[in-house]
Amino acid sequence: MTDVIVVGAGPAGAAAALMAARDGLEVVLLERGPFPGSKNAYGGVVYGRVLDDVLPRWWEEVPVQRWVTRRSTMVLTDTQALTVDFRTTAWGEAPYNGCTTFRADFDGWLAGKAVEAGAHLVVNTVATGLIVEGNRVVGVRTDRQDGDLRAPLVIAADGVNSFLAKEAGLLPRTQAKHLTLGVKEVLSLPREVIDERFGVRGDEGVDVELLGCTRGIPGGGFVYTNRDSLSVGVVVSLEHLAASKVRPEELIADLKAHPAIAPWVEGAELKEYTAHLIPEGGYDHLTPLSTAGMLVTGDAAGLCLAAGLWLEGVNFAIGSGLAAGRTARRIIETGDAKPYRAALKDSFVLKDHKRLRGAPRLVLSERVQQRYPGLVADLVEGLFTVGNPTAKPGALRLLRGAAKNNGVKLRHLVADGLAGGRVFK
Amino acid sequence: MADLVVVLARCTDLRVEVDPLTGAISRDPRAAAFSASDAAAVEHGLRLGSAWGARTLVLTAGGPECDARLREVLSLGAEVRRVPVRGSYVEELATDERALAKALVAAIGGRPDLVVCADRSSDRGTGALPAFVAHELGVVQAPGLVSLELVGDDLMGERRLDYGRRERMRIPLPAVCSVEGAGVRLRRASLPASLAAASAVVPVAEVPLPGPAVRVLGARASRPRPRHLPAPTGSSRERLLALTGALLSHEPPTVVGPVDAPEAADALLDFLARNGYLSEARTGWALS
Repeated sequence: MTDVIVVGAGPAGAAAALMAARDGLEVVLLERGPFPGSKNAYGGVVYGRVLDDVLPRWWEEVPVQRWVTRRSTMVLTDTQALTVDFRTTAWGEAPYNGCTTFRADFDGWLAGKAVEAGAHLVVNTVATGLIVEGNRVVGVRTDRQDGDLRAPLVIAADGVNSFLAKEAGLLPRTQAKHLTLGVKEVLSLPREVIDERFGVRGDEGVDVELLGCTRGIPGGGFVYTNRDSLSVGVVVSLEHLAASKVRPEELIADLKAHPAIAPWVEGAELKEYTAHLIPEGGYDHLTPLSTAGMLVTGDAAGLCLAAGLWLEGVNFAIGSGLAAGRTARRIIETGDAKPYRAALKDSFVLKDHKRLRGAPRLVLSERVQQRYPGLVADLVEGLFTVGNPTAKPGALRLLRGAAKNNGVKLRHLVADGLAGGRVFK
Repeated sequence: MADLVVVLARCTDLRVEVDPLTGAISRDPRAAAFSASDAAAVEHGLRLGSAWGARTLVLTAGGPECDARLREVLSLGAEVRRVPVRGSYVEELATDERALAKALVAAIGGRPDLVVCADRSSDRGTGALPAFVAHELGVVQAPGLVSLELVGDDLMGERRLDYGRRERMRIPLPAVCSVEGAGVRLRRASLPASLAAASAVVPVAEVPLPGPAVRVLGARASRPRPRHLPAPTGSSRERLLALTGALLSHEPPTVVGPVDAPEAADALLDFLARNGYLSEARTGWALS
């Protein structure tokens, strides 16, 4: 007798299966690929603090590429780059902060923990639909012979384009407005070359987030260091990308050719190209988290935080999966999904989303995306350009000039500053 | 009739990764899978075992990374066993194939009526293993089969010959048959069977393991020296003319038609014969 069916062995599904199995429930974890992580793609930084209580000293066994000890935010125009760079040795030692990792490694490791706890992992199996009786989900259909599987609780962790959530009426059939498309290239470079170019040693790694590198299409870019490769990519609004008629690989090509990025990737060989949809609608556009007999977790629920300074998905997927697994027994006993929603509400998963609910609109606004990168770059260029014998201009004059050149009125600056203050307070 | 059908199936990463910079070879244990011909061998073994009411044993030589695939086979109703061979890609290339065949035969633990293998392995690739297995068992071998089926009480095989011909043969038992990855597709297990096999322990055969046939002193990426080519002679214009043949006379294109199909076929055959691609004696075609 199966108690819980978890569909999707990504971070959310594996975390849910792990906690439910530890609670003594009979758990079946369905994965459509030949192994967990085989069908997934993502930028590459995982923040593992969420695992502290569940897998103590997880950092000793997680399949890490590099520990991120340097975090940079870079604002780009076609010819300029302004970088805010932070590094700390604290992130390079236990209990660490974030790491770059490959999804096939990480997902396989986490799903392995669920299997160790007693979950039954079935791979190469697609959940093709829900079994509904009355208004209650009582199981899933799969693409295997005799493939109907029944359980009092189904946890949908089947990703951003969740067919189960759609079938349950929780997710609209198309929702391009709140989706972004992430595209990534993995570029092979010798380890020592990466160390030298990024100024790191040993297992230290770098996370560079980029703004202003997407031909005005709302979004951003990233460069992450792996052990002997770089992950380079962009994340752009799906709706605006389609309207622009630009192909995403052209954006990556632009990025790699930018004078600030080109020296990092020079001589690298392309190993892999991946693309993935990302739910970036934020708190106001989350999928309903449950229906009778079914919980929705991770990307399927839209639980991905894209708030400018913070771009996090895997830890939110794990957090929501852990909540689903922890509350599964109570939900089965009472038939009510309130404990899951309450657990999410009390955790960082919904608290962060709620607090930063205004961030997606602000971060993806036309001024932040298309005008402010040029404004700050022009301002800083003006500050550091030595024009003697002309005397140095005042900062306010430079700001006015940069704002004018980039079509920004000072009242817009003030308004957006206040809006940013409200969002990130 | 037969009592024991054995399938020797190889399970390995089918997309070995070669580092484009260093030439280092790496395999992903999670990607271990049966090649098309290995999967066809398993399917033939299952079909024939079922038709005879015989035990079907699927045996593979490899590391624990093969267990997931063997559990899938287990869920299809076959017995499984693994000969614990493990090593780097280079070590595997150096394995003594004859000793491997001995180890596999020892792991069977009985005298099989039929052994089905893939006609080629995905990476070691010699295709010699079925012959060594047949030699160890002292039975006949039928290599390169595209079909293997029971016709009445006879085991019939079919294989390709040159010029598109096929050969059908009656295969006496016991025998070792190697099959191409064609004509059949490995069945999928039902969900209940997959669940039942999901956590099954794959038995590991305790047999003497094969060693290397050759001693590997080192392995490195192939970096052939560039060929020395003589510098081109003549002016750049002359070289361009030589390359493109721009000023040479050419046979003008032949315009055929509009004609009906037989006339078009005759024109084509005539062209081929005129240019030495066909001869009347070889093809038996009467040219008009």
